[in-house]
Amino acid sequence: MPRSVTPGRRVIDLGWVIMRPLFTVSAIDPSIAGQLADDLPPEIFRRIIATFEADLARLTGELTQSAGEGDLDGYLRAAHSLAGAAAAVGARRLEVEARTAMDPAQPVSPSEVLPRLSAESRSALQELHQLAGN
Amino acid sequence: MSETVTAPTGRVLLVEDTPTQAEVAKAMLAALGHEVRHAATGAQALLLAQEWPADAVLVDLQLPDFSGFELMRRLRAEGSEAAMIVLTANGSVNTAVEAMREGAIDFIVKPYGKARLKVTLDNALENRALRAELTAVKQQLNRGRFFGFVGASPAMQAVYRTIESVAPSRANVFITGESGTGKELAAEAIHKASPRAKGPFVAINCGAIPKDLIESEIFGHVKGAFTGAIDNRAGAARQAEGGTLFLDEVGEMRLDMQVKLLRFLQTGSFQPVGAARPEKADVRIVSATNRDPLAEVEAGRFREDLYYRLYVVPIALPPLRERGEDVLLIARHFLTRFAKEEGRRFRGFARETEAAISAYPWPGNVRQLQNAVRNVVVLHDGDVVTPGMLPPLPAPALPAAAPQPAAAPVPPMVAPPPAVAHVAAPPSPAPVTAFAPAPPPMAPPPQPASIEPLAVVERRCILAALDHTGQDVPKAAALLGVNPSTIYRKLAAWRSEGVHA
Repeated sequence: MPRSVTPGRRVIDLGWVIMRPLFTVSAIDPSIAGQLADDLPPEIFRRIIATFEADLARLTGELTQSAGEGDLDGYLRAAHSLAGAAAAVGARRLEVEARTAMDPAQPVSPSEVLPRLSAESRSALQELHQLAGN
Repeated sequence: MSETVTAPTGRVLLVEDTPTQAEVAKAMLAALGHEVRHAATGAQALLLAQEWPADAVLVDLQLPDFSGFELMRRLRAEGSEAAMIVLTANGSVNTAVEAMREGAIDFIVKPYGKARLKVTLDNALENRALRAELTAVKQQLNRGRFFGFVGASPAMQAVYRTIESVAPSRANVFITGESGTGKELAAEAIHKASPRAKGPFVAINCGAIPKDLIESEIFGHVKGAFTGAIDNRAGAARQAEGGTLFLDEVGEMRLDMQVKLLRFLQTGSFQPVGAARPEKADVRIVSATNRDPLAEVEAGRFREDLYYRLYVVPIALPPLRERGEDVLLIARHFLTRFAKEEGRRFRGFARETEAAISAYPWPGNVRQLQNAVRNVVVLHDGDVVTPGMLPPLPAPALPAAAPQPAAAPVPPMVAPPPAVAHVAAPPSPAPVTAFAPAPPPMAPPPQPASIEPLAVVERRCILAALDHTGQDVPKAAALLGVNPSTIYRKLAAWRSEGVHA
């Protein structure tokens, strides 16, 4: 059925607005991170971000060290933890990179994946801080 | 009408090694009102669970020291009854199936929101509460002991429940049951389970007290009230102040005494024999009879108004023959107790002995069984009780409706004599026992076709009285108008003379 349009007004495609998050390059999933921000008191949400930031520093360090030492178990364990931490706060792109790092079916060399992980970590943190109003 | 539904909250142990995930979960759990403790490893979780029993455990599957499944197994092995919920990034069917097989009540796929966590935890806690309730109910239904009672049969479970229900109230309780079924035990259990437990429990056997003395026994007397009343004496009603007065064989009370008891029940006051003024006493009355109380009312031997006053909560104690496996539980209980008392080695019954005990209908009920086991322990020793050690048991004279004993081997029995014509109630065993042959019953009086020695007549009367009372020596003595010690002396003398069945 043709949509009736009031002359002189711009038509806004609501469907596009709703779908937009799927097409953006946002580092975090608002349905998870946004929900956390809505559900929890601000100080608790900020504490979670601080914990995530500490996890990122520790786990990317462990990944780098394990890669340097050829410690595959340590490398996979750190990648698994990083994927879990990222998923918990809705850092989807970081989670995907971490799962790639731990997926034996798609071997990607650490020298290739580690820089991507670092970049995704920075983006995710930046957006989380924005969400927390920091 | 609106109804407020409160979600269950509880103690939740979170086992998660990644700090970010743990922080998010803790924040959500706290927001949902739960009390939370966090462990980052399986070992930490085991320690925490020991000192802080949780209602639910949220378990990450990949822990640094061992798997979440292994943790669940160890927690269960240590007796944890918490609801286990698995946290996993892998939402495959295989993981779900394995989680359930390992005892998880549910699983949550990461990442999860507060709403999902709430629904899962609410269900788990409700499930756990229901399981705990079910366990408690099952335990109650399977109680093998209750105050002085031994027995786990459904019939006794119903008795235990009634006693528990009635104990806290002030309602009068009327206990019925054959001789030897434990009417006084039931009365004591009611007293001990009641708020009056710290008060006295005073038992009066109305059938064992001469009818002229019963008023004085219950209400007391003042000095000079009658010949022999050389001092003031408090009766059972005064002695039971703040506690429970148990009137056994209440149907044996004379009608004029029943009027006085009724007044006491109605007003809480009584008048000691010879006293000028009434006195008050705060007592709860529990009464009992081995007769059919309504039949006694219809026969005019028991006042109807008193019947309704006493018969507020009836408790019918089942005869031992209707208590199934209880008979063996009770026999083992007595064997252990008496063997310890008598310094014997007995550890149990031989299988054939148990079969014989189970097959016999025990018309004298628990008291008869108790006497039989005591007899075995006193006269024998060994590791197990063999069938030959059992005393001769009288052949039962059961009413037609009563279950017949099974055809299992039973120790030697005495042939049943004719029923005693004047015995109103419970099915009586034929004359006894381990220590005397079965004589004919006491009544009707023998025709004087031949004159018997007095000792024979005496023995016959005593044995008939014991039979009538289910081997209750004090009651038999009361019926015969002699002191119980007289009967005990006679029994000992017959035994030493070798007068056996």
